[in-house]
Amino acid sequence: MRSKKITNLLAGVGFLTPNILGFLTFTTLPLLFSMVLAFSNWDLTLHNMFHPEESIQFVGFKNFIRLFQERDFWRFLGNTLFLMMGAPVAIAGSLFAAILLNKDLKGKKSGAFKILLPGAILLASCLLLTLVGLGAAAVVILIAGIGGITLISGILFGQTVYRVLFYLPNFTSGVAVYLLWKKLYSPQTGPINAVLAPLLAALGKAVNQLPPWVMGGLILLCALLMVWIVNHILRSLANHWRDGEIGHCALGIGAFFTLLPIYFVATWSPLGIMKIGIPAAAAIVAGIQAVRVGAGREFHCATWSRVGTAFTLAMAALVPTFILLGFAVVFHNLPAMAAAAEGLTPPDWLASYQWAKPAIMIMGLWGAIGSNNMLLYLAGLSNIPPELEEAADIDGASPFQKFWHVVWPQLAPITFFIVVMTVIGGLQGGFEMARTMTQGGPAGSTTTLSYFIYNEGFATGRLGYSSAISWMLFAMVFTVTMINWKFGSKYVND
Amino acid sequence: MSTTEEMLGVSQEARAASWKEAKDRSIQKEALGISLLHLLLVGMSLAFMLPFLWMVLTSLKELSEIGLPEWMPKAFQWGNYAEVFNVIPFGRFYWNSLFVATWVTFLQVFTSSLAAFSFSRLNWPGRDKCFLLYLSTMMLPGLVVMIPNYQIMITLGWVDSFLGLIVPASFSAFGTFMLRQFMMTIPTSLDEAAEIDGASKWRLYWDVILPLARPGLITLTIFTFMGNYQSFFWPLVMLKSINKYTLPIGLLYFDSSRGQTTHLLMAGVTMSVLPMVVLFIIMQKHMVKGIQMGAVKG
Repeated sequence: MRSKKITNLLAGVGFLTPNILGFLTFTTLPLLFSMVLAFSNWDLTLHNMFHPEESIQFVGFKNFIRLFQERDFWRFLGNTLFLMMGAPVAIAGSLFAAILLNKDLKGKKSGAFKILLPGAILLASCLLLTLVGLGAAAVVILIAGIGGITLISGILFGQTVYRVLFYLPNFTSGVAVYLLWKKLYSPQTGPINAVLAPLLAALGKAVNQLPPWVMGGLILLCALLMVWIVNHILRSLANHWRDGEIGHCALGIGAFFTLLPIYFVATWSPLGIMKIGIPAAAAIVAGIQAVRVGAGREFHCATWSRVGTAFTLAMAALVPTFILLGFAVVFHNLPAMAAAAEGLTPPDWLASYQWAKPAIMIMGLWGAIGSNNMLLYLAGLSNIPPELEEAADIDGASPFQKFWHVVWPQLAPITFFIVVMTVIGGLQGGFEMARTMTQGGPAGSTTTLSYFIYNEGFATGRLGYSSAISWMLFAMVFTVTMINWKFGSKYVND
Repeated sequence: MSTTEEMLGVSQEARAASWKEAKDRSIQKEALGISLLHLLLVGMSLAFMLPFLWMVLTSLKELSEIGLPEWMPKAFQWGNYAEVFNVIPFGRFYWNSLFVATWVTFLQVFTSSLAAFSFSRLNWPGRDKCFLLYLSTMMLPGLVVMIPNYQIMITLGWVDSFLGLIVPASFSAFGTFMLRQFMMTIPTSLDEAAEIDGASKWRLYWDVILPLARPGLITLTIFTFMGNYQSFFWPLVMLKSINKYTLPIGLLYFDSSRGQTTHLLMAGVTMSVLPMVVLFIIMQKHMVKGIQMGAVKG
């Protein structure tokens, strides 16, 4: 018996040996080495063969103190976080795409298939003939042709075709595609500005002719919608609380994220009078819900329970409110920009301090909608028991209600997982884009933490300092992972 | 036939006709809904494809046509693709990428499958604790170990060599994790049968488990190969001489040295993206399954 145990151990370790050796050499050893480095002043510009008198010394926490005092570090951390703000929109896009793809695209169930295919062929050929007849540009005909082929094969093969096409930008993303986007964004010769310039010029003229109250009205509309959404989510949170479904901390976290866009309105948006109006209205709404929360409830709930529920609720609010905020800011700025001498002109994208980050975010969005997240949502959607939706149908639920009360809660564990993974990836990300597209510029506006570490470690040669930054990054990632372990698993098990 | 209908005077034919009409109408309504859905999906697909379309069309332009708003080249310059191989050692980059990625994939799949076999099919004391330790390294940002690893490469004399690209990338916690998850689903009765037949552990691994784990191995092979084909950071710091550049580094070098020749750059970009597109279309079923399995269960 004893000898069998030993043979088992030997076999187990034997099979593990190659991997363990590599693991020790290229992970464990460097990890320890890096920890030591972070507390040293090793700098290749000082400690090299031309300065034999200099020696590497341990400097305690000096690297970390310097890091906290360096304004650039906070700026680059800010850049990293700013670039991550596109993620909620990307996740919402993935969910939207997954919901579309999960529908019965071939019409097999209802027998609609025999109408669809001839209809698609007819539509595609009519469109092509019309375009050719009108003498449209060759590229327009080409695009229409590609669209027609996509449509026909989409009806023939269903989900697979669109899934492949949506996923391609993500799958191919890398240096090659970043170089492609660099050319697309080129201010003078790129196709994006070639398309945008006439559109924006026309828009500028149109805006100049509008009466001034139109923009004000649109901003007001955005503001009302924002307050309505905030109210809706806060009310849901308060209801969950009163039903004993979420705990204190969940309530607090949910309310915090729901009110986050309002904070942005109050602090840095240039919205004029709305800057006071929106937060005031939100405060009144929040006050009413706070009173409802204060009125108490019958069930007891563990303090930290169901943070995930509250968080997914707040996430659902974050996306539309941020989009509305963006629209409001655009409506606010548009008249002044259109009235300027040169009219509305497209931005310089990667060459501009203000637009480099949005440019990278737009590119990220292009690649992130059809990503792994979409595939995960697809798997999650197909796991929702059909009885749930049927029951909702019988109760006469609208599509929106079905989504909000059936689909979204069922997908909550996946959403939580995706958000955590996105945050972890986002904290470490941005290096490839910065290196290939902007070199971290202009003026450091696209330098993320990973590019900062690369710059300090491999370009400047301050190995100790660079290691210290990478350990700060590790601490952040570790914190997020711990949050995931604490709330994610509990939540997924529910 | 029910008596009520007889009383109401509804004939069977009329009932059948009205039922068929209702069914047709519901099919038509359904078809309309599905067509609108398809139009939306086609619109989204086009939005995703447009950058690639511009890439291909630009790669076929002449130098004088670069920067014109017209997307279509006047005449397709297929010679651009051959020209890329003349202006930079593009064939060399291709070969380097292929060489490194193939070796890394082979070694990584091999070491990972060995470790996964040990973690899933063999019972040894401390196994699960050891596995947890493995897993925990997956959340370690790669950046933390980059600088020390580079120093190790200097010590070993592997800077600017393929050994330095291949060996450190040949061990992966992710691959081990994925294959272990896969091997866990293979029934244990097979192990017992093999043991009764007197097969050694190696025979069990090589003749029983590996063939059964083939779908998992294929998925890992594609992931590893693609990941390494596109890997950027490590080759960027490791490679110094141009004839050792892999494709991503080579393209970056192309952009910085001859970035003005957009048509040639786009031809190069197209050629480096194309293998991925083809591979993805062929292998997409495996990959989708792998992604969904790896993450949902993790």
